[in-house]
Amino acid sequence: MFPPRCLVAGALVVVLTIVPALASAAEPAAAGRIKLASGAVFVVRANAVVPAVAGQVLFEADTLRTGADGRVGITLNDDTRVSLGPGSEARLAQFVYAPAEGRLSLVLNIVHGLVAYVSGRIAKLSPDAVKLETPNAIVGVRGTTLALRVDAQ
Amino acid sequence: MNGRRHLVALTIAACAAGSLSACGRSRVHTPERPHDSTVALLPDPDDGVVGKAVVTNASGTADLAAARASTRVQNNQAPGTVTALSEGEAQALFGDLLATLPPKSHHFTLYFEFESDELTAESRALVPAVLRAVMDFPFPEVVVIGHTDTTGTPISNVELGLKRASTVRKLLVDAGLKASLVEVTSHGEADLLVPTADETFEPRNRRVEISVR
Repeated sequence: MFPPRCLVAGALVVVLTIVPALASAAEPAAAGRIKLASGAVFVVRANAVVPAVAGQVLFEADTLRTGADGRVGITLNDDTRVSLGPGSEARLAQFVYAPAEGRLSLVLNIVHGLVAYVSGRIAKLSPDAVKLETPNAIVGVRGTTLALRVDAQ
Repeated sequence: MNGRRHLVALTIAACAAGSLSACGRSRVHTPERPHDSTVALLPDPDDGVVGKAVVTNASGTADLAAARASTRVQNNQAPGTVTALSEGEAQALFGDLLATLPPKSHHFTLYFEFESDELTAESRALVPAVLRAVMDFPFPEVVVIGHTDTTGTPISNVELGLKRASTVRKLLVDAGLKASLVEVTSHGEADLLVPTADETFEPRNRRVEISVR
C-alpha cells in the first residue's frame, strides 16, 4: 500500500501534532472553585498561607485549612464536591481531569478534621482513580458520599 | 537553552546530594504520631443513593456498602468492625459538614439534527432553563462539553466535540449569559452516553452536555 518511509513520516507528523497539544494541556489549569466559605478559611499554596474567599479558584496541590470557626465547600471541575468542617486541613494532592486524553486522577489527603466528599465524574469514569487518604488509611470510592473524621494529636 | 539545561542538571544534583533535606523532606513521615480516623458511607444528599467504599491500610481492609456504615481506624491497626450509625448519630457527627457542601451541579444534554451542526428544536428550547439554573449557584460556572460517537479518529472527534460545544456556547451567550462564566471543552469519543464499539454510529452519543455548578 504505502512505502514504509511514508508511514514513518506520517507517524512523525501525527506525533508532532499531538505532543504540543498534550504539553499545553499540562500547564496549571484550575482544578475547582470555592463556592462557600465562612469563618477562618485559608489556602496554602507553595508554602504561602492566604485567606480564602468564596469564588476563589483552586489548583492541584493546594491545601485548604479552616480555623476553629471555619467552614468551606468546594466544587471541583469534574463536579466532585468536598466540604471541610472547623479545625480541618485537606490537600488536593492530585487532580487530573482530562477524559479525552484518558487521564483521570483525584487524590485528597485529609490531614485532620472533618471532611465530606461527594463523588463526581472521575469516580464515574474511573473509580480506581479516586483515593481519599488519611494518615492511617486509604479509602477507595465506588460512587457517592463519604464523611471522614481524622483526629491527629 | 544551555542555561536552562544546566539549571535542570544542577537541580537534579542538588536533590541527589540532599536526599533527606530539601527535595526529600516531604517523604519523611512523622513517627509515632497517634491517629484516629473514622470513615462513614452516607446516602447521597440529593438522591439518597448509597455507593460503596473500601477502607484499607497495611494491617487490613473494611468494606462499607450500606447506608451509614462506618469503620474506625486507630493508629496502625486494621480498620475496625463495620457498624451502622443511626440517622441521629450521622446527623450529629456530619450534619453541619454536609450542609456546607455546595449545591449539586445541574446537567443538560443537547442533541444535534442528523448530520448537521444545528441543534434539535427540543434542545434549543432548553436554553432558558440553563440561564435560570445559573442563578441557583454561588459563583456559578457553566461548562459546555462536546461529545461524539466513535465514528472517526479520537483526535478528529475531540475537535468535532469542541466545535459542537462552541456552537452551544454562542447560543447561551446570545441568550444573555455572561461570556466569562462559560468554559468550552471536549471529551471527544472518550465519554460515551451509550457504550459502543469503535467506529459505531450512535446519535445518542453525539451530544453537548452543559454542566452548571
